[in-house]
Amino acid sequence: MSAAADIADVVIVGSGAGGAPLAARLAAAGLSVVVLEAGRAFRPDDHVADELAADIYWMEERLSGGADATAFGANNSGMGVGGSTLHWGAFCPRPDARDLRLHSESGQGEDWPIAHDELIAYVKAVERFIGVSGPKHYPWDDARRYELPPVARNAPAEAMARGCAALGITATDAPAALVSRDRAQPHWGERQACINCGTCHQGCRTGAKATTDTSWLPLAVAHGAEVRAECRVVDIERDGSGRVTGVVYVRHGERRRQACRALFLCAGGVETPRLLLNLDLANSSGQVGRNFMAHVATQVWGRFDADMRMNRGYPSSLITEDLMRATGADHAGGYLIQSLGVMPVTLATNLARGAGLWGRALVDLLADYNRLGGIGINGECLPSDDNRLTLADETDPYGLRKARIDFSYGPNERAIDAHARRTMTAIWERAGARDIFAVDRSAHTIGTCRMGHDGDRAVVDADGRSFDIDNLFICDNSVFPSALAANPALTIMALSLRTADRFLATRG
Amino acid sequence: MAQLYFLHALGASAREWDEVISELSEVGDCVALDLPGFGDSADADLDVAGLVDWFAQQVSARQPQSWAVIGHSMGGKIATLAAARARDGDPDFAGLAAVVLLAASPPAPEPMAEERRAEMVGWFDDGHVSADEAATFVDANAAIPLPESLRAQAIADVQRSGRRAWTGWLERGSREDWQTGAGTLSVPALIVAGGEDGDLDEAAQRRLNLPHYRDARVEVVAGAAHLLPYEQPATVAALIREHVVPAFGRTLPAPFVALLASERVSRRTRAVMTERHAAPPPGKLLSPQQRAVLAALVETVLPGAADPVDLAARIDAMLTSEIGDGWRSAELPADAEGWTSGLDTLDRLAGGFADAVPADRELSLRSIADGTLDKTDGGLDPRQMRLWFAEARAEIARQWMALPATMARIGYDGFAVGGDGPHKQGYQRTAADTIEDWQRLEARA
Repeated sequence: MSAAADIADVVIVGSGAGGAPLAARLAAAGLSVVVLEAGRAFRPDDHVADELAADIYWMEERLSGGADATAFGANNSGMGVGGSTLHWGAFCPRPDARDLRLHSESGQGEDWPIAHDELIAYVKAVERFIGVSGPKHYPWDDARRYELPPVARNAPAEAMARGCAALGITATDAPAALVSRDRAQPHWGERQACINCGTCHQGCRTGAKATTDTSWLPLAVAHGAEVRAECRVVDIERDGSGRVTGVVYVRHGERRRQACRALFLCAGGVETPRLLLNLDLANSSGQVGRNFMAHVATQVWGRFDADMRMNRGYPSSLITEDLMRATGADHAGGYLIQSLGVMPVTLATNLARGAGLWGRALVDLLADYNRLGGIGINGECLPSDDNRLTLADETDPYGLRKARIDFSYGPNERAIDAHARRTMTAIWERAGARDIFAVDRSAHTIGTCRMGHDGDRAVVDADGRSFDIDNLFICDNSVFPSALAANPALTIMALSLRTADRFLATRG
Repeated sequence: MAQLYFLHALGASAREWDEVISELSEVGDCVALDLPGFGDSADADLDVAGLVDWFAQQVSARQPQSWAVIGHSMGGKIATLAAARARDGDPDFAGLAAVVLLAASPPAPEPMAEERRAEMVGWFDDGHVSADEAATFVDANAAIPLPESLRAQAIADVQRSGRRAWTGWLERGSREDWQTGAGTLSVPALIVAGGEDGDLDEAAQRRLNLPHYRDARVEVVAGAAHLLPYEQPATVAALIREHVVPAFGRTLPAPFVALLASERVSRRTRAVMTERHAAPPPGKLLSPQQRAVLAALVETVLPGAADPVDLAARIDAMLTSEIGDGWRSAELPADAEGWTSGLDTLDRLAGGFADAVPADRELSLRSIADGTLDKTDGGLDPRQMRLWFAEARAEIARQWMALPATMARIGYDGFAVGGDGPHKQGYQRTAADTIEDWQRLEARA
């Protein structure tokens, strides 16, 4: 094993939304920072406008169980310098204050150990840095301003706007973490305005979409951080008192060691708990892997008479937050509705699996691709003892046991799903869609190392620090105590900045 | 109309193809080229890359949307390297449907005795090849003497070869090593050897050319040596026809190929789509019976839409590669075992799924999908069968939808949203019932 002579102040495992902002902030504060990323580095030009060839997803096998087994692969985790931000949809609603106090409000779920105001201050800092396009006036938050005008609506967005207007539901241009005009990104260069190519999920080829490799990581590097690609962390070394002294990683088949004074795990809601469980670390609470949550992400589809060609344009260009707390709702929490632009292969897979379609019905729908339109939700998911990540008996090529994730909707998720189906079907009927049907789907990997005030019920405290090991931190979607209806990446980036600030304020 | 490009041998010219082409007029538009320095073209000293560049200009000037290349000897090396550039997304070579190699020089240095090479180079020492020297060359390369008129033509072509082109090929071009650049090609290839050829005989073809082609077969023409188009034109023409007609039959629609070749498409995107349009690499996991059951399953999941045998081969290739979609049901065994057990169980449940009529296949699948199946008597259990069928139909739909032919069928152009320039094109219009001129595929033909 080759050993690095230097001890880094901080090693960060993962270069996505959780790891990159704190890398930049800690480096700017003068700390020596090494970011270890399992995947390779890309230039925007390297990305390919093809769903099967896109190579920015975590494709190592995971086992999915439960009554509502969630899909992995291209559906959620990313791989590459930039992590999941390489393929994220850039849909970035802010976290709702009510969602952070869901337990206080409804008696269900969990409250966050962080005040909403404090989190939002960080959200705004993130938005300022990465550049967000959005409406001039945000109907659910009068004070909110977005730096850039909204990107063009696509055909499903216009349809959703029609349907919502007919039903008295407020809808507007979605906040999107991409630049609607050319914008200089410090230490990286000019990010070109979005060209409406629609391939956000295959990797942005113009730099319009905010990804950490074109924003936070160049900032971190400018302040002296080192980003090492193709480094798979396989072990965490400790001293006699149990404190972390370094990590062991494999690069091109060679085992290497990097000593550090503090370690941040930012590998996402599956890989972070998987590593801890494999190493039997930081789990005196027994909470590592527990409370896995995936957003209820039901979609409703239909045929239109018009030529929609939904692959054009920013996919999620319209939003409504009206259903965040529906009147007379039979469920805790709520959901966001967005218009969809789904590429053919993803659609085909979702129709075959999530809508149970095959035979003539499937062929006819897929052949009609250019006339289909859809809308979908991102809905609250409550933590549950039954939903958890454990280790399978099978091992990966590094000898670590694979993750097994069991996930089933509970009554609240079923109620949200049913409510959303009714609402979206009504919107789609009023939008002029025919042959309307729903697709079962869940998305995002949340929970599994939750934060809280109580070391018996949580893995890390509100600062992301392990209750068991005082120089081990976690910052990614695994620390979320509850799912929040908002898509997670913006909140993860905000948490990342906060985690950095808390680390700087509290380290000895 | 599809085009066939003919690339001749050292010391020959476009004329060597006259009799072959006379039998292929209904197959496509036949374009026989004089390589630089041969036939009527001016002398030139091009290395192999220069020859492929020259060929790229020839093809792109004619903008064929579907084409084949037939390379003889020296022309064969150019043909293979053109196919490699097509694979790598070179827009000049977009639309290549088939390759035919005749006694072809390989991407590796061509096997040739040094004294023979020196002798042939020496023919130009006095500035030109004499009639005797040219006759020696022609006669040595034919199994039996050519008919006199053809022999005279072949001798005259050797004599009018440019000195720089002749010696450049012998001293350098034939010795250049392009094995890495050629790599593995998926375009369907027919590799023809003369039964009485010397250094480039069947054994050499199998050793040096065949490994570069994933989807190739080798044919030997008995009673012929190296000058195949002169020696056995009818046999050669029949072999070409037999190979390129089916290949042309599965080419993408011309407007789609034109869009794929356009600067709106990145090289990498073009390369992956070109590769995927070709036949998949051989799958080794499934037995012939499992393949047949899978093909029947494909037909039932996507009736009338997919080529069941082709798609079954693709899924077998995917399973063989062990590169899946990143996850599987925790209740199913690993992909390889899951699929083989699933197919075996399905076959048994249906009392022979592959041979069942469509209505019975549907019934079988429906009982699996809706949970009414109560036992399977071994293999996967009913719950596992339901999960496996969900996985199987999703994989079938995924593989089919990703095919360029399917994209062409549904009118999808989302791959043409930005080439390799500093500014990508994307879409200017995103609203319903609006379309940009470049999207009117029918107008592009």
